[in-house]
Amino acid sequence: MGSDFYQLYILPFAGIIIKICRAYTNNQEDFEDYYQEVCLQIWRSRDNFNQECEWSTWIYRISLNVCLTYLKRRKNGDKEIISDPLPEEAIDDSKAFVSDEINQLYSAIKHLSETDRAIILLYLEEKSYLEIAEIIGSNTNNIGVRIKRIKDRLNKYITQKD
Amino acid sequence: MTKSIETIWKEGFVDETQLTAPEIKDLYNRKSQNIVDKLQNMFAINIKAIILGSIVMLIMMSLIGAPFLGLYICCLLVPLVIIAKRELKKSFNLSKGQSSYDYLMSFNSWLQSSIEAYSSYYKIFYPLFFLGMAIQGIVSNAGGEFIALLLKIFPTDIIIFGQPYYLIIALVIVTLIMVKYAETLYRWDLNIVYGRQFKKLEELITDMKALKD
Repeated sequence: MGSDFYQLYILPFAGIIIKICRAYTNNQEDFEDYYQEVCLQIWRSRDNFNQECEWSTWIYRISLNVCLTYLKRRKNGDKEIISDPLPEEAIDDSKAFVSDEINQLYSAIKHLSETDRAIILLYLEEKSYLEIAEIIGSNTNNIGVRIKRIKDRLNKYITQKD
Repeated sequence: MTKSIETIWKEGFVDETQLTAPEIKDLYNRKSQNIVDKLQNMFAINIKAIILGSIVMLIMMSLIGAPFLGLYICCLLVPLVIIAKRELKKSFNLSKGQSSYDYLMSFNSWLQSSIEAYSSYYKIFYPLFFLGMAIQGIVSNAGGEFIALLLKIFPTDIIIFGQPYYLIIALVIVTLIMVKYAETLYRWDLNIVYGRQFKKLEELITDMKALKD
Protein backbone atom coordinates (compact mmCIF):
# COMPACT_ATOMS: atom_id res chain seq x y z
CA MET A 1 0.00 0.00 0.00
CA GLY A 2 2.79 2.41 1.00
CA SER A 3 4.60 2.41 -2.32
CA ASP A 4 1.35 2.80 -4.28
CA PHE A 5 0.39 5.77 -2.16
CA TYR A 6 3.69 7.47 -2.88
CA GLN A 7 3.45 6.83 -6.62
CA LEU A 8 -0.19 7.86 -6.89
CA TYR A 9 -0.65 10.67 -4.43
CA ILE A 10 2.74 12.15 -3.65
CA LEU A 11 5.01 11.80 -6.67
CA PRO A 12 2.72 13.78 -9.03
CA PHE A 13 3.05 16.68 -6.57
CA ALA A 14 6.76 16.20 -5.85
CA GLY A 15 7.50 19.58 -7.49
CA ILE A 16 5.65 21.40 -4.71
CA ILE A 17 7.53 19.51 -2.00
CA ILE A 18 10.89 20.00 -3.69
CA LYS A 19 10.39 23.74 -4.10
CA ILE A 20 9.40 24.15 -0.44
CA CYS A 21 12.06 21.87 1.03
CA ARG A 22 14.78 23.63 -0.97
CA ALA A 23 13.86 26.90 0.71
CA TYR A 24 14.34 25.44 4.19
CA THR A 25 17.55 23.51 3.65
CA ASN A 26 21.07 24.39 2.76
CA ASN A 27 22.54 21.18 1.42
CA GLN A 28 21.53 18.07 -0.46
CA GLU A 29 21.57 15.80 2.60
CA ASP A 30 19.20 18.04 4.57
CA PHE A 31 17.02 18.51 1.52
CA GLU A 32 16.58 14.75 1.11
CA ASP A 33 15.79 14.37 4.81
CA TYR A 34 13.16 17.11 4.68
CA TYR A 35 11.68 15.70 1.48
CA GLN A 36 11.32 12.24 3.01
CA GLU A 37 9.87 13.67 6.23
CA VAL A 38 7.24 15.61 4.27
CA CYS A 39 6.33 12.47 2.29
CA LEU A 40 6.11 10.48 5.51
CA GLN A 41 3.84 13.06 7.13
CA ILE A 42 1.59 13.27 4.06
CA TRP A 43 1.19 9.52 4.23
CA ARG A 44 0.54 9.56 7.98
CA SER A 45 -1.97 12.41 7.66
CA ARG A 46 -3.86 10.90 4.74
CA ASP A 47 -6.88 9.97 6.87
CA ASN A 48 -7.23 13.56 8.08
CA PHE A 49 -7.70 14.84 4.53
CA ASN A 50 -11.37 15.82 4.45
CA GLN A 51 -11.60 17.17 0.90
CA GLU A 52 -12.47 20.65 2.13
CA CYS A 53 -9.48 21.78 0.14
CA GLU A 54 -7.68 20.44 -2.89
CA TRP A 55 -5.08 17.70 -2.45
CA SER A 56 -2.37 20.07 -3.72
CA THR A 57 -3.33 22.65 -1.05
CA TRP A 58 -3.14 19.89 1.55
CA ILE A 59 0.36 19.08 0.34
CA TYR A 60 1.38 22.74 0.60
CA ARG A 61 0.08 22.87 4.18
CA ILE A 62 1.80 19.71 5.34
CA SER A 63 5.04 20.58 3.56
CA LEU A 64 5.21 23.99 5.19
CA ASN A 65 4.16 22.77 8.64
CA VAL A 66 6.70 19.97 8.53
CA CYS A 67 9.50 22.28 7.38
CA LEU A 68 8.63 24.77 10.12
CA THR A 69 8.83 22.16 12.87
CA TYR A 70 11.52 19.83 11.60
CA LEU A 71 14.18 18.96 14.14
CA LYS A 72 17.45 19.25 12.37
CA ARG A 73 20.29 17.14 13.71
CA ARG A 74 23.39 19.24 14.08
CA LYS A 75 26.58 17.90 12.62
CA ASN A 76 28.74 18.84 15.60
CA GLY A 77 26.68 17.35 18.36
CA ASP A 78 23.64 15.38 19.29
CA LYS A 79 21.36 18.30 20.10
CA GLU A 80 18.53 18.84 17.67
CA ILE A 81 17.10 22.14 16.61
CA ILE A 82 14.10 23.33 14.69
CA SER A 83 15.25 24.60 11.30
CA ASP A 84 17.36 27.66 11.98
CA PRO A 85 17.92 30.81 9.96
CA LEU A 86 20.67 29.86 7.56
CA PRO A 87 23.98 31.67 7.91
CA GLU A 88 25.42 33.02 4.65
CA GLU A 89 28.36 30.63 4.63
CA ALA A 90 26.08 27.64 5.16
CA ILE A 91 24.10 28.14 1.96
CA ASP A 92 26.08 25.88 -0.29
CA ASP A 93 23.51 24.32 -2.61
CA SER A 94 23.66 27.16 -5.10
CA LYS A 95 23.65 24.61 -7.93
CA ALA A 96 20.48 22.87 -6.81
CA PHE A 97 18.58 23.88 -9.96
CA VAL A 98 19.58 24.14 -13.60
CA SER A 99 18.75 27.84 -13.81
CA ASP A 100 21.31 30.15 -12.22
CA GLU A 101 18.64 32.77 -11.75
CA ILE A 102 16.50 30.38 -9.74
CA ASN A 103 19.52 29.43 -7.63
CA GLN A 104 20.15 33.10 -6.97
CA LEU A 105 16.51 33.69 -6.08
CA TYR A 106 16.58 30.74 -3.66
CA SER A 107 19.73 32.08 -2.11
CA ALA A 108 17.86 35.34 -1.44
CA ILE A 109 14.75 33.53 -0.15
CA LYS A 110 16.87 31.65 2.37
CA HIS A 111 17.80 34.94 4.00
CA LEU A 112 14.17 35.59 4.90
CA SER A 113 12.45 34.51 8.12
CA GLU A 114 10.76 31.10 8.08
CA THR A 115 7.30 32.65 7.81
CA ASP A 116 8.32 34.99 5.01
CA ARG A 117 9.82 32.08 3.10
CA ALA A 118 6.49 30.26 3.30
CA ILE A 119 4.57 33.32 2.11
CA ILE A 120 6.80 34.13 -0.84
CA LEU A 121 6.89 30.51 -2.01
CA LEU A 122 3.10 30.41 -2.08
CA TYR A 123 3.00 33.77 -3.85
CA LEU A 124 5.46 32.62 -6.50
CA GLU A 125 3.38 29.48 -6.94
CA GLU A 126 0.59 31.86 -7.97
CA LYS A 127 -1.61 31.24 -4.99
CA SER A 128 -4.10 34.06 -4.41
CA TYR A 129 -3.81 36.22 -1.28
CA LEU A 130 -6.88 34.43 0.05
CA GLU A 131 -5.32 30.99 -0.51
CA ILE A 132 -2.05 32.11 1.07
CA ALA A 133 -3.95 33.50 4.04
CA GLU A 134 -5.79 30.20 4.40
CA ILE A 135 -2.66 28.07 4.17
CA ILE A 136 -0.66 30.25 6.55
CA GLY A 137 -3.67 31.05 8.73
CA SER A 138 -3.53 34.81 8.54
CA ASN A 139 -5.30 37.95 7.46
CA THR A 140 -5.54 38.60 3.68
CA ASN A 141 -4.70 42.32 3.95
CA ASN A 142 -1.60 41.64 6.00
CA ILE A 143 -0.46 39.07 3.45
CA GLY A 144 -0.56 41.69 0.71
CA VAL A 145 1.49 44.14 2.77
CA ARG A 146 3.96 41.46 3.80
CA ILE A 147 4.45 40.23 0.21
CA LYS A 148 5.31 43.74 -0.93
CA ARG A 149 7.89 44.01 1.85
CA ILE A 150 9.37 40.60 1.07
CA LYS A 151 9.64 41.39 -2.65
CA ASP A 152 11.47 44.61 -1.86
CA ARG A 153 13.91 42.71 0.31
CA LEU A 154 14.47 40.03 -2.30
CA ASN A 155 15.00 42.56 -5.07
CA LYS A 156 17.44 44.49 -2.91
CA TYR A 157 19.36 41.31 -2.09
CA ILE A 158 19.48 40.17 -5.73
CA THR A 159 20.54 43.61 -6.96
CA GLN A 160 23.35 43.75 -4.41
CA LYS A 161 24.57 40.33 -5.50
CA ASP A 162 24.59 41.28 -9.22
CA MET B 1 19.30 41.34 -12.89
CA THR B 2 16.40 43.04 -14.64
CA LYS B 3 13.78 40.29 -14.49
CA SER B 4 11.16 40.32 -11.79
CA ILE B 5 11.19 37.51 -9.24
CA GLU B 6 7.88 36.28 -10.64
CA THR B 7 9.42 35.95 -14.12
CA ILE B 8 12.52 34.22 -12.78
CA TRP B 9 10.31 31.71 -10.99
CA LYS B 10 8.02 31.11 -13.92
CA GLU B 11 10.85 30.69 -16.42
CA GLY B 12 12.96 28.67 -14.02
CA PHE B 13 10.23 26.11 -13.49
CA VAL B 14 8.67 26.17 -16.91
CA ASP B 15 9.83 22.58 -17.30
CA GLU B 16 8.93 20.94 -14.00
CA THR B 17 10.51 17.65 -15.08
CA GLN B 18 13.86 19.14 -14.04
CA LEU B 19 12.63 18.82 -10.46
CA THR B 20 13.89 15.37 -9.67
CA ALA B 21 12.51 13.82 -6.52
CA PRO B 22 15.15 12.27 -4.26
CA GLU B 23 15.29 8.53 -3.97
CA ILE B 24 12.91 7.33 -1.29
CA LYS B 25 14.40 4.88 1.20
CA ASP B 26 12.06 2.78 3.30
CA LEU B 27 9.75 5.78 3.66
CA TYR B 28 6.96 4.25 5.71
CA ASN B 29 9.28 2.86 8.35
CA ARG B 30 11.26 6.04 8.61
CA LYS B 31 11.81 7.58 12.04
CA SER B 32 10.17 10.98 12.09
CA GLN B 33 12.17 14.13 12.82
CA ASN B 34 9.09 16.24 13.43
CA ILE B 35 9.01 17.89 16.85
CA VAL B 36 5.47 16.67 17.65
CA ASP B 37 6.36 13.09 16.73
CA LYS B 38 9.58 13.34 18.71
CA LEU B 39 7.73 14.50 21.82
CA GLN B 40 5.13 11.77 21.30
CA ASN B 41 7.95 9.24 21.21
CA MET B 42 9.44 10.77 24.33
CA PHE B 43 6.13 10.45 26.20
CA ALA B 44 5.68 6.86 25.01
CA ILE B 45 9.21 5.98 26.15
CA ASN B 46 8.61 7.78 29.46
CA ILE B 47 5.57 5.62 30.14
CA LYS B 48 7.55 2.42 29.57
CA ALA B 49 10.54 3.72 31.56
CA ILE B 50 8.38 4.73 34.53
CA ILE B 51 6.61 1.37 34.63
CA LEU B 52 9.92 -0.49 34.35
CA GLY B 53 11.53 1.85 36.91
CA SER B 54 8.69 1.26 39.37
CA ILE B 55 9.08 -2.51 39.15
CA VAL B 56 12.86 -2.30 39.54
CA MET B 57 12.48 0.09 42.46
CA LEU B 58 9.98 -2.20 44.17
CA ILE B 59 12.28 -5.22 43.79
CA MET B 60 15.41 -3.33 44.87
CA MET B 61 13.76 -1.77 47.89
CA SER B 62 12.34 -5.13 48.92
CA LEU B 63 15.81 -6.65 48.64
CA ILE B 64 17.35 -4.00 50.90
CA GLY B 65 14.55 -4.45 53.43
CA ALA B 66 12.44 -1.42 52.56
CA PRO B 67 9.46 -2.87 50.64
CA PHE B 68 7.09 -0.15 51.87
CA LEU B 69 9.35 2.56 50.46
CA GLY B 70 9.39 0.65 47.15
CA LEU B 71 5.60 0.48 47.18
CA TYR B 72 5.38 4.13 48.16
CA ILE B 73 7.60 5.20 45.22
CA CYS B 74 5.52 3.03 42.88
CA CYS B 75 2.39 4.83 44.05
CA LEU B 76 4.09 8.19 43.47
CA LEU B 77 5.00 7.17 39.93
CA VAL B 78 1.49 6.01 38.96
CA PRO B 79 0.15 9.57 38.38
CA LEU B 80 3.15 10.25 36.12
CA VAL B 81 2.11 7.33 33.90
CA ILE B 82 -1.46 8.64 33.85
CA ILE B 83 -0.30 12.16 32.92
CA ALA B 84 2.03 10.87 30.18
CA LYS B 85 -0.75 8.68 28.73
CA ARG B 86 -3.27 11.53 28.81
CA GLU B 87 -0.89 14.00 27.17
CA LEU B 88 0.12 11.45 24.56
CA LYS B 89 -3.52 10.85 23.68
CA LYS B 90 -4.15 14.60 23.35
CA SER B 91 -1.18 14.97 20.99
CA PHE B 92 -2.75 12.68 18.40
CA ASN B 93 -5.38 15.34 17.71
CA LEU B 94 -2.72 17.64 16.26
CA SER B 95 -3.26 17.63 12.52
CA LYS B 96 -0.40 18.75 10.31
CA GLY B 97 -2.95 19.60 7.62
CA GLN B 98 -4.20 22.67 9.50
CA SER B 99 -3.12 26.17 8.54
CA SER B 100 0.40 26.90 9.77
CA TYR B 101 -0.90 29.31 12.40
CA ASP B 102 -3.48 26.84 13.72
CA TYR B 103 -0.96 24.02 13.67
CA LEU B 104 1.66 25.99 15.60
CA MET B 105 -0.93 27.33 18.03
CA SER B 106 -2.45 23.92 18.73
CA PHE B 107 1.02 22.43 19.12
CA ASN B 108 2.01 25.21 21.49
CA SER B 109 -1.20 24.89 23.47
CA TRP B 110 -0.69 21.13 23.83
CA LEU B 111 2.93 21.70 24.82
CA GLN B 112 2.03 24.28 27.46
CA SER B 113 -0.72 22.10 28.89
CA SER B 114 1.67 19.14 29.07
CA ILE B 115 4.36 21.20 30.77
CA GLU B 116 1.74 22.56 33.18
CA ALA B 117 0.42 19.07 33.99
CA TYR B 118 3.89 17.67 34.59
CA SER B 119 5.18 20.63 36.58
CA SER B 120 2.07 20.66 38.79
CA TYR B 121 2.64 17.04 39.64
CA TYR B 122 6.40 17.43 40.14
CA LYS B 123 5.59 20.06 42.80
CA ILE B 124 4.03 17.20 44.76
CA PHE B 125 6.23 14.36 43.55
CA TYR B 126 9.67 15.73 44.49
CA PRO B 127 8.79 16.71 48.09
CA LEU B 128 6.90 13.45 48.70
CA PHE B 129 9.75 11.46 47.19
CA PHE B 130 12.22 13.27 49.41
CA LEU B 131 10.06 12.77 52.51
CA GLY B 132 9.71 9.05 51.77
CA MET B 133 13.46 8.63 51.41
CA ALA B 134 14.14 10.76 54.52
CA ILE B 135 11.67 8.83 56.69
CA GLN B 136 13.11 5.53 55.48
CA GLY B 137 16.57 6.87 56.35
CA ILE B 138 15.47 7.94 59.83
CA VAL B 139 13.85 4.61 60.69
CA SER B 140 16.77 2.56 59.37
CA ASN B 141 19.56 1.32 61.67
CA ALA B 142 22.11 3.64 60.10
CA GLY B 143 19.67 6.54 60.46
CA GLY B 144 19.12 5.70 64.14
CA GLU B 145 22.88 5.73 64.75
CA PHE B 146 23.21 9.03 62.94
CA ILE B 147 20.43 10.64 65.01
CA ALA B 148 22.00 9.30 68.22
CA LEU B 149 25.27 10.93 67.15
CA LEU B 150 23.43 14.17 66.43
CA LEU B 151 21.86 14.16 69.87
CA LYS B 152 25.24 13.60 71.41
CA ILE B 153 26.71 16.62 69.63
CA PHE B 154 23.57 18.82 69.83
CA PRO B 155 21.62 17.60 72.85
CA THR B 156 18.02 18.79 73.18
CA ASP B 157 14.90 18.07 75.24
CA ILE B 158 12.56 19.15 72.48
CA ILE B 159 11.54 15.97 70.71
CA ILE B 160 8.90 15.91 67.96
CA PHE B 161 7.64 12.55 66.62
CA GLY B 162 10.49 10.94 68.51
CA GLN B 163 13.11 13.04 66.68
CA PRO B 164 15.16 16.08 67.71
CA TYR B 165 13.30 19.28 66.74
CA TYR B 166 16.12 20.58 64.52
CA LEU B 167 15.99 17.47 62.37
CA ILE B 168 12.25 17.99 61.82
CA ILE B 169 12.86 21.68 61.05
CA ALA B 170 15.55 20.73 58.55
CA LEU B 171 13.18 18.23 56.89
CA VAL B 172 10.40 20.80 56.71
CA ILE B 173 12.74 23.43 55.22
CA VAL B 174 14.09 21.05 52.54
CA THR B 175 10.54 19.92 51.71
CA LEU B 176 9.35 23.52 51.37
CA ILE B 177 12.33 24.35 49.15
CA MET B 178 11.39 21.39 46.97
CA VAL B 179 7.77 22.52 46.75
CA LYS B 180 8.94 25.99 45.75
CA TYR B 181 11.58 24.99 43.23
CA ALA B 182 10.25 21.70 41.78
CA GLU B 183 8.53 23.46 38.90
CA THR B 184 11.55 25.67 38.20
CA LEU B 185 13.76 22.61 38.25
CA TYR B 186 11.51 20.75 35.81
CA ARG B 187 11.28 23.71 33.42
CA TRP B 188 15.02 24.28 33.65
CA ASP B 189 15.62 20.62 32.81
CA LEU B 190 13.21 20.82 29.88
CA ASN B 191 14.86 24.00 28.64
CA ILE B 192 18.26 22.37 28.56
CA VAL B 193 16.92 19.77 26.12
CA TYR B 194 14.32 21.72 24.16
CA GLY B 195 15.08 25.37 24.95
CA ARG B 196 16.13 26.32 21.44
CA GLN B 197 13.12 24.63 19.86
CA PHE B 198 10.76 26.37 22.27
CA LYS B 199 12.36 29.74 21.53
CA LYS B 200 12.08 29.11 17.81
CA LEU B 201 8.46 28.09 18.21
CA GLU B 202 7.76 31.26 20.17
CA GLU B 203 9.35 33.39 17.43
CA LEU B 204 7.33 31.64 14.73
CA ILE B 205 4.10 32.14 16.65
CA THR B 206 4.87 35.81 17.29
CA ASP B 207 5.50 36.33 13.59
CA MET B 208 2.35 34.45 12.60
CA LYS B 209 0.27 36.37 15.16
CA ALA B 210 1.50 39.64 13.70
CA LEU B 211 0.20 38.47 10.33
CA LYS B 212 -3.10 37.35 11.78
CA ASP B 213 -3.94 40.53 13.70
